[in-house]
Amino acid sequence: MTVVAKSSLIGKRIPKMDAPEKAAGKTRYVQDINLPGQLIGKILRTDRVHARIVSIDTAAAKALPGVYAVLTAADIPKRGLGVNKDNPPLKGDKVRTIRDEIAAVAAETEEIALEALKLIKVVYEDLPILADPRQSTQPGAPVIQDAKPDNIAMTFDYAHGDVAQGEKESDVVVESEFYLHYVTHCCMGVSGIIADFEPTSGNLTLYSNTQVPFLHKREFSEVLGMDPGRIRIIQPPIGGGFGSKLDIYPFEPIAVYLAKAARRPVKLVFTREEEFLASPTRQPALCRLRSGAKKDGTLTFRAVDILLDNGGYTSWGATIPFVMMQTFSSLYRVPHCLFHTKAVYSNNPYAGSFRGYGNLQATFTVEQHMDMLAEKLGLDPLAIRMKNAQESGEVTGQGMVFTSCGFKECLTTAASRSDFARKFTDYAQQQSKPGNKKRGIGLAAMIHVGGGAKIYPSDGCGTILKMDDFGHVTIMTGASEIGQGSETVLAQLVCEELGLPLDAVSVVNNDTEVTPWDVGVHASRTTFIAGNSAIGAARKAKDKILNAAAKVTNMTADQLEMRGGFVVRAADGEMVMPLPKLLRSLHFSDKAELVMTTHYYEPSSVHQDKKFMGNVSATYAWAAQICEIEVDTDTGIVTLEKVTAAHDVGRVLNRMGLEGQIEGGIVMGQGYALTEDLMVRQGKVLNPGFRDYKLVTAPEIPEMDISFIESMDGEGPQGAKGVGEAPAICMAAAIANAIHNATGVRLTRLPFSPENVYRALVTAKGGVVE
Amino acid sequence: MVERYLAPTTLDEALKALAAGDATIVAGGTDVMPQSQAGRFKLGRTLVNIRRVAGLQGGAKEGDEIRLGALTTISQLREDAFIAKTLPVLAEAADHFASVQIRNMGTLGGNIGNASPAGDTLVPLLVLDAVVELRSAKGMRRLRLDEFFTGPGKTKRTPDELITNIFVPAPKPGFVARFAKFGTRPALDISAVSVGIAGIVKDGKISNVRVAYGAVAPTPVRGRAAEAALEGKTLDAATLAAAAKAAQGEVKPISDRRATAWYRREMIHNLVKKVLADVAHG
Ligand SMILES: Cc1cc2nc3c(=O)[nH]c(=O)nc-3n(C[C@H](O)[C@H](O)[C@H](O)COP(=O)(O)OP(=O)(O)OC[C@H]3O[C@@H](n4cnc5c(N)ncnc54)[C@H](O)[C@@H]3O)c2cc1C
Repeated sequence: MTVVAKSSLIGKRIPKMDAPEKAAGKTRYVQDINLPGQLIGKILRTDRVHARIVSIDTAAAKALPGVYAVLTAADIPKRGLGVNKDNPPLKGDKVRTIRDEIAAVAAETEEIALEALKLIKVVYEDLPILADPRQSTQPGAPVIQDAKPDNIAMTFDYAHGDVAQGEKESDVVVESEFYLHYVTHCCMGVSGIIADFEPTSGNLTLYSNTQVPFLHKREFSEVLGMDPGRIRIIQPPIGGGFGSKLDIYPFEPIAVYLAKAARRPVKLVFTREEEFLASPTRQPALCRLRSGAKKDGTLTFRAVDILLDNGGYTSWGATIPFVMMQTFSSLYRVPHCLFHTKAVYSNNPYAGSFRGYGNLQATFTVEQHMDMLAEKLGLDPLAIRMKNAQESGEVTGQGMVFTSCGFKECLTTAASRSDFARKFTDYAQQQSKPGNKKRGIGLAAMIHVGGGAKIYPSDGCGTILKMDDFGHVTIMTGASEIGQGSETVLAQLVCEELGLPLDAVSVVNNDTEVTPWDVGVHASRTTFIAGNSAIGAARKAKDKILNAAAKVTNMTADQLEMRGGFVVRAADGEMVMPLPKLLRSLHFSDKAELVMTTHYYEPSSVHQDKKFMGNVSATYAWAAQICEIEVDTDTGIVTLEKVTAAHDVGRVLNRMGLEGQIEGGIVMGQGYALTEDLMVRQGKVLNPGFRDYKLVTAPEIPEMDISFIESMDGEGPQGAKGVGEAPAICMAAAIANAIHNATGVRLTRLPFSPENVYRALVTAKGGVVE
Repeated sequence: MVERYLAPTTLDEALKALAAGDATIVAGGTDVMPQSQAGRFKLGRTLVNIRRVAGLQGGAKEGDEIRLGALTTISQLREDAFIAKTLPVLAEAADHFASVQIRNMGTLGGNIGNASPAGDTLVPLLVLDAVVELRSAKGMRRLRLDEFFTGPGKTKRTPDELITNIFVPAPKPGFVARFAKFGTRPALDISAVSVGIAGIVKDGKISNVRVAYGAVAPTPVRGRAAEAALEGKTLDAATLAAAAKAAQGEVKPISDRRATAWYRREMIHNLVKKVLADVAHG
């Protein structure tokens, strides 16, 4: 008897499938791809913040040898990009932000293209600058977009209960204004695209960094006025997305128009400076929050008023209230909630989507208010959260349904592992002691969608699975790999169903001609949605295989199983036949059949109604993070010493991948809180480079203690939830609470750069600052 | 436009190349390359890579002076046993300087030649009373470092001159020198301000005091008022406070993206106090 042992890859530490190539520096990014006959595209960007374009003279540029195309707004259709369709790829009438695209060149070499840009003469008439979003709706403010004379790009309103009633029921009320600044994604790989028209058919192939290929196809077809069926998007490996590649941006259609005009493939890749200036930012926000609670800590209400600086054009940044409101309405049980946001135009850079999608901003305010309420009530930060924390079975005011919910376990796990209660008391007592080094500990918690987010009518993903004659599986999935490790997780999930080793699987996920539809990489949805889709396809394949095996044995399909590349007897693992043999017998027979299956998974969530009511995600991720810091009161430097994190991940699928996501997210959140600051002054970006835009570097990365709470979600693939965004969300709030614990000073404006912290400390002591 | 690239191996060849005119000296290239790429630095017709010129590396005692070769790398300042023992303040500066890769390439001569007000070896060299040795095909001269800088990126060096060595007096008994840099990151950060203090400490009193500041003026500067507040004094709380106040009062920094002028003055005050407290407590 030959018994094949059962084995599972779930929960193991598995290096990402693409890691060896990346570690060896051999991955071929869009930068590395060169097509025969390819030209280099470059964009002329304005150096004005707000100005009317009087004239653009391209004659000298066009005459330069080696130049194949020079385009201005006059040469292309007048169609806008983005959420409000207010962003024409090339600006013709006026420029509204410092990075505005006004002309583009395709030339034989980069040098020639740059030379040509210098030869373009633009005459402007400067317009008054609108740099402060608080001024945008004041009478007499300059109008940024003619179609929106009130300068309001978008508003969101949400309510449940009656906040006036909540206020009446409150024993304590706190109110604060919070400011959240500009930061940007800092992908290691800068933005880039290659546009290639097939000369005779006119079919268009794009080599693109997008994270949403299928939505992108549609966007391109609209802006180009082209049949989407003739647009193919190939996604080479990308050097980071983090949400930055969720929208279509001017450089992409510009490359296409250049390719069309020049009749040659055009490659357009940003410089690092361009990446800072012309890729989207995280949405800055000015947030006024009023919260109340009863004596025992029970929350009574929350009233939120948020002003978003929309910049000159509307990308996804304007829509972050959609996610923000979930934290205000549903992180804790809040009987009354009123939420209003307004995104207003200005002459500043515009924001896109960015890992966390507004939740870093919302959590920053809510989680500081939890501490402020606790302080007023004489409760400790953990107690007030435990009192109001959501549990399984809850349906929130917004209609979110919590099936699996490890929130309380996250809170207690992080608190006990960090010795939170003792340290919180100790550090608070040491505030007034002499010495310039103050220690503090702070807690923050979060909720985020963990089972997709149905922001479009569909939140689905398709999979095609094929097996070859040798027992090898190819998964063709709509879900893009953007470094998050989705390939590996999908392969693991399929291996689990088909009893195969990881090296029997390859994943194809980068060609819209081949892969089935998916809504895109966002909302931490890929493991959950694409995972369930892949499992569905694998189960269909397994059914087919076991049914075929049943016919050639004297067993029924449910008496059989797949293990280690064999069909085995389910009861005892006795080998029945090698899988390749079965596959070949199916293929090379009278009935001649291949094992190929498809599956489309659509989660059970709902598309919310106009009032934003409804269960937007199939499940939710929870986390608590505790930061321990030291503040140097002589300099304002805040050193992050340790982060204790507890995450409800549903179930651990790839432990190594999961740790990577959490650690990376923590560091991203740390940068948001402490060091990163895209300095925008009067519409100008002062620090478009890594010298003065400060990312966290290796020596500043704190000690981390990460726990996974396995709540085994009923709908999740093998019980898992999505967690891609979760780890960055709590950090700024937890650090703010820790600074308060260390110094007694409450900081409500990001970033906590040394100077900002120092100023706040001096001011709090009654000192004078200039 | 660069037309010629030379990599001389002897000092004479290097000086000849410079004498021919319109030449740019490249040592580690960690300033030249990024600055010229960004269009902030115009390269001459000839690039002279001096990295292979013999005899300009490392440190040695010569008479009652210490000689430091212009090609000594920032990493060497940190790791060289002789330098670490004789002039630990340079190791202290090197320890917060850029990243390991930049330290391996960047040189002491380049840091001086670049003449940034935030150059991290310049403040320690000022408090060490450093003298710069310049050589050209025509001869040799020595200039005091505190008279060498004329503005951001500007020095008294003429285009045909090469910085060959830096000389500092050999430390006397009781000599202490300290450097403190303030940036927002522990490494890989340009100083928002920096402070150097040196002197001879005997029986709790400090004399021969040198104070210098980085990033508070167009060049690294000596802190004469703070020096006066300290000279001959016992390093007690009152002296520390007076010196810190004097320092804060004498610097005239600007506001830029790295810090406001007010904050820079505050940091000068606090850093001077901190460094002096360290010195006082040995
Ligand atoms: C990422 C990064 C981080 C940095 N961090 C810091 C930091 O923390 N602190 C700091 O002080 N600096 C920093 N720098 C700046 C730079 O590394 C230093 O100034 C370094 O010491 C320059 O040395 P180099 O040999 O590379 O100079 P080069 O770039 O070769 O030359 C610099 C200038 O000096 C001239 N020159 C060089 N050698 C001589 C010579 N022997 N005689 C005459 N002229 C000469 C050159 O012509 C040029 O004008 C940083 C640079 C980078 C890119």
